[in-house]
Amino acid sequence: MSETKALETMIGEEYKYGFTTDVEYEDFPKGINEDVVRLISEKKDEPEWMTEFRLKAYRRWVEMEEPSWFNATYTKPKFDKLQYYSAPKNKPKLNSLDEVDPNIRETYEKLGIPLEEQKMLAGVAVDAVFDSVSIFTTFKEKLAEAGVIFCSISEAIQEHPELVKKYMGSVVPANDNFYAALNSAVFSDGSFCYVPKDTICPMELSTYFRINNMNSGQFERTLIIAEENSHVSYLEGCTAPMYDENQLHAAVVELVAMDNAEIKYSTIQNWYSGDEDGKGGIFNFVTKRGACRGDNSKISWTQLETGSAVTLKYPSVILQGDNSVGEFYSVAVTNKRQQADTGTKMIHLGKNTKSTIISKGISAGKSDNSYRGEVKISKKADNARNYSQCDSMLIGQTCGAHTFPYIESANPTGKIEHEATTSRVGEDQIFYLQQRGLSEDDAISLIVNGFCKEVLKELPMEFAVEANKLLGIKLEGSVG
Amino acid sequence: MLEIKDLHVEVEGEGIEILKGVNLTINKGEIHAIMGPNGSGKSTLAKVVAGHPEYEVTKGDIIYNGESILELDPDERSHAGLFLAFQYPVEVPGVTNNTLLRESYNTIAASRGREELDPLEFDDYIREKLDLVEMNPDFLERSVNTGFSGGEKKRNEIFQMAVLEPALALLDETDSGLDIDALRIVADGINKLHHEDNSVVLITHYQRLLNYIVPDHVHVMIGGKVVKSGGKELALELEEKGYDWLESLATVNGEAK
Amino acid sequence: MAQSTRIEPSILHKLAKHLPENGSDRWAAIRQKSMQQLNSTQFPHKKIEEWRFTDLRPIRRTEFSHINDAGTYKASDIEKYFIPESDRSRLVFINGRYNETYSSIGGLGKGVTVGNLSAFSDDEYVKKYLNNLVNYEDDVFTHYNGLMFEDGVYIHLEEGAKAEAPIQVLNLYTGSEKPFIANPRMLVVAEEDADVTIIEDHIGLADNTYMTIPVCEVKVKQRAHIHHVRIQRDSENAFHVSRPIAYVEKNSEYHSYTITLGAKLSRNEPRVVQEDEEVDFTLDGLVLIDGEQVADTHSVMDHRFSHAESHQLHKVVVNGKAHSIFNGKIFVQRDAQKIDSFQENRNLLLSIDGLVNTKPQLEIFADDVLCSHGATVGQLDPEEVFYLQSRGMTEEKAKEVLTYAFALETIENVKVESVHKLLIDEVYRYTKANSKPKVTA
Repeated sequence: MSETKALETMIGEEYKYGFTTDVEYEDFPKGINEDVVRLISEKKDEPEWMTEFRLKAYRRWVEMEEPSWFNATYTKPKFDKLQYYSAPKNKPKLNSLDEVDPNIRETYEKLGIPLEEQKMLAGVAVDAVFDSVSIFTTFKEKLAEAGVIFCSISEAIQEHPELVKKYMGSVVPANDNFYAALNSAVFSDGSFCYVPKDTICPMELSTYFRINNMNSGQFERTLIIAEENSHVSYLEGCTAPMYDENQLHAAVVELVAMDNAEIKYSTIQNWYSGDEDGKGGIFNFVTKRGACRGDNSKISWTQLETGSAVTLKYPSVILQGDNSVGEFYSVAVTNKRQQADTGTKMIHLGKNTKSTIISKGISAGKSDNSYRGEVKISKKADNARNYSQCDSMLIGQTCGAHTFPYIESANPTGKIEHEATTSRVGEDQIFYLQQRGLSEDDAISLIVNGFCKEVLKELPMEFAVEANKLLGIKLEGSVG
Repeated sequence: MLEIKDLHVEVEGEGIEILKGVNLTINKGEIHAIMGPNGSGKSTLAKVVAGHPEYEVTKGDIIYNGESILELDPDERSHAGLFLAFQYPVEVPGVTNNTLLRESYNTIAASRGREELDPLEFDDYIREKLDLVEMNPDFLERSVNTGFSGGEKKRNEIFQMAVLEPALALLDETDSGLDIDALRIVADGINKLHHEDNSVVLITHYQRLLNYIVPDHVHVMIGGKVVKSGGKELALELEEKGYDWLESLATVNGEAK
Repeated sequence: MAQSTRIEPSILHKLAKHLPENGSDRWAAIRQKSMQQLNSTQFPHKKIEEWRFTDLRPIRRTEFSHINDAGTYKASDIEKYFIPESDRSRLVFINGRYNETYSSIGGLGKGVTVGNLSAFSDDEYVKKYLNNLVNYEDDVFTHYNGLMFEDGVYIHLEEGAKAEAPIQVLNLYTGSEKPFIANPRMLVVAEEDADVTIIEDHIGLADNTYMTIPVCEVKVKQRAHIHHVRIQRDSENAFHVSRPIAYVEKNSEYHSYTITLGAKLSRNEPRVVQEDEEVDFTLDGLVLIDGEQVADTHSVMDHRFSHAESHQLHKVVVNGKAHSIFNGKIFVQRDAQKIDSFQENRNLLLSIDGLVNTKPQLEIFADDVLCSHGATVGQLDPEEVFYLQSRGMTEEKAKEVLTYAFALETIENVKVESVHKLLIDEVYRYTKANSKPKVTA
């Protein structure tokens, strides 16, 4: 069918970010044991408590079993062959952008993320993470004026140990799951953000992740804390070179929102997805969780997942505070041999808590796309509400769409509504749009864009452009 | 402008012939009405002219502005100025009328070497056209045909026609499902849009639309063929006598079902 | 690395030492195969995804004895469950054993064979189909039934045969001192163009503990129609684990309605497997539970060919400390195009101690399909309650009326009049008793 082809071309466009950067790396042993964990901590000059945190996590991880409950099959990573720390050589503490390795700077330019502040999108501060380490954070001073701390997690451990100590592991405990435990033991870097009381963060914050080194895993850690009456919007983007070998990305993201605070977290994930035959690509095994600790707090996850060979990812919200709100908006596109098992968890603990889930899955090629979600209303969560909508679209005869929503209610005043549909790009729709002058490709783009609209409109403007480009779709209503 | 010659059409892959040798000529500036009972092939004819992939032309030709368009894709035909108002307008969830029309307008404009309109210019342009079918501007921000009533869908088709300014419009049962007020609005719109440089083909079941829009020619289709053509008085004759008196014409060749 | 826990089905194994010996050679083969399967199958536990929410420890902890022969009952205990439509088309089983006295099978007309399985163990269809249709992977209960069954129901309709009356299958379980296990079995074969209605009823006559494991195999051939009503009114201390599976051929229809009222713990796993194009099937359920009841439904609608229409409406009312579990799987296999499948699960949670787990599940491998599911969990709409109150009803009455209306929708399509009526009575009885949330101390 020609429409199938057209859409496949559209979403299967050549991966543009597959180049590698020639960088000299520090030597680091492969494999993992307590010494390696200690060595990572030592390299980063960490305080004792951090080393202990890592070792404890490592000891738990050793006892854990790699999970297999999801809807994906892959060759498990060889943990003894991986390199757990990968940092470009000559990385002293950077005081100015001039000190960044020119090759790395060029990489970010190529990716469309110039690090010079004057060249950047106004209103977005970037933390650039290259393999395991944070390379540079822009607009730090400007943020500091507002009292916002935005830096790499390594720096935060040194400069703000009390905050890190208090919050790290408080949302995702070190033993939460296999990959979170591994991350807790070996995480290399990541972003840290602290928004003090009564503060609206003056600009969008963003981290741009890049995996370059072939043999390294990437284990970054993000921690965002929004104090009372504060607000922050955070964006994350990811790319990686094309290698035949799979690379592991096992991140942990923790969000904490206090009374009346709001955190909006958006992701555009475009890791390399492997080739037609499923060779290579990133294993994207990420634990993302937010805690609405305070009353009236709000955490909103928006994600556009287009890359990775295998994705296992469930950005979740624990709704502890009364009247707190959790949101999850997701578009997951799979093609070729990609496997995505993604969704969310909304755990209602507080009274009058509300959650919304909108998930759009598009499967093409020989891919499998699964929505897996859990909505739980606990006994004490009076008047909790959830609304979920999970729609799937299939393109062609060789892909699969799966919906696994787990719903649990233990409170009679709670209300859960879940709907799911499966549909296709209709031939009659294509003909109608063609009759109105659109080419077949444009017709399909428009239909897919319409299908994803409820989610795409949740992305911050700066990302919406990239998102639409990614989907191969012209942006609707870009002006006005 | 449009010349249909001995057109034979089957449903793709099913081998059932639906059009069995249609001949029709439409000149610039004319209004034609094609009438006929259910299943006579009227709608099929409209869809085939617009290039619907479900149908296969097994014999004959469709000449538009002097050239065969059989090999053209539906969008290419659209660029050439052909417009089909659908009998059952299709829903496209999440895509607003405004977006669709701007995309359409600009694609057609580009193909004709005309200047594209930016969103603001387009907004001015489109609002004028709304008045033509007495539609509320809210309409622009609603998803194409999604959740529209039958009457709204039909008006939307005429609205799109107004925006895209086709050279030849095929209106497939645009009058069906309309109440009397909506019928008047739609008919007025069509009359305003018609001028000496474009042509309109009305496909209809009933004579009542022709009380508002006066055709130059009336054709009756039965059993996949045009069995009778005449002036506007033919429509009145049909109204009076029904289609039965023409059935015999169709069976003369022993082909009708 | 942690070790997976393997729980031995020791209790079941112990029982399996006393094997029944009746039936044909084929039956011996079934038992032998079931024994092998039983030996290589884990007893389910909560770490297995399919059993995540259902605690089987009450079954594991119970020491079951052999089939209860003794059972005391009066004729009137049994006769009161007879439906008038099936006066001459009724099979009665007591504790899993056929009872000729109360059965009456003369009135079904030409081409319809009905009887107890063991009397037909040499029948060609019994040989062909029995235990060959059942397909529950790694399931201790199915294998146990395969090992221990002694008898069951056999229904066969010849080509074009239309059963003149609905067939009532009464499974009665009598009081006993010791917990026992029954293994009812049913084989239904409807040949081309045949038509039959089956009313399968499980009733506990006392409040004792027993486990019943009904395994039911249904074959619906081309253009045949089967209307299958399953009522579960087991004793409040009973365990009910049922495995009904139907295979539907071209242009056939299978409509099943399961009403779950009884048992302390029930696990119902209805499945429909499409065997050719152009089929129409229904898998509706109504669950009304309170006290400490656990009712679990795991269904599968397996679309393997194009052009199927399927529906599932599963409604649940939970009160007291009861717990409802639902997992409805809809599969649409590759090349099964033009499938129109709709699943709806509505849960009414009345009490603070009740619990609802639901997981509607879509697994789609074809692109030209229209599949949807919806699930809701909540209480009665306060607006509706208020509306009825404003019309003069007490709050309690309003809730009763609304709960009643909620439940009734699922049994509307039961077409045997007296059964429809008895189900309305059951719904009424439940709603009357559960118009208030039950708070336990």
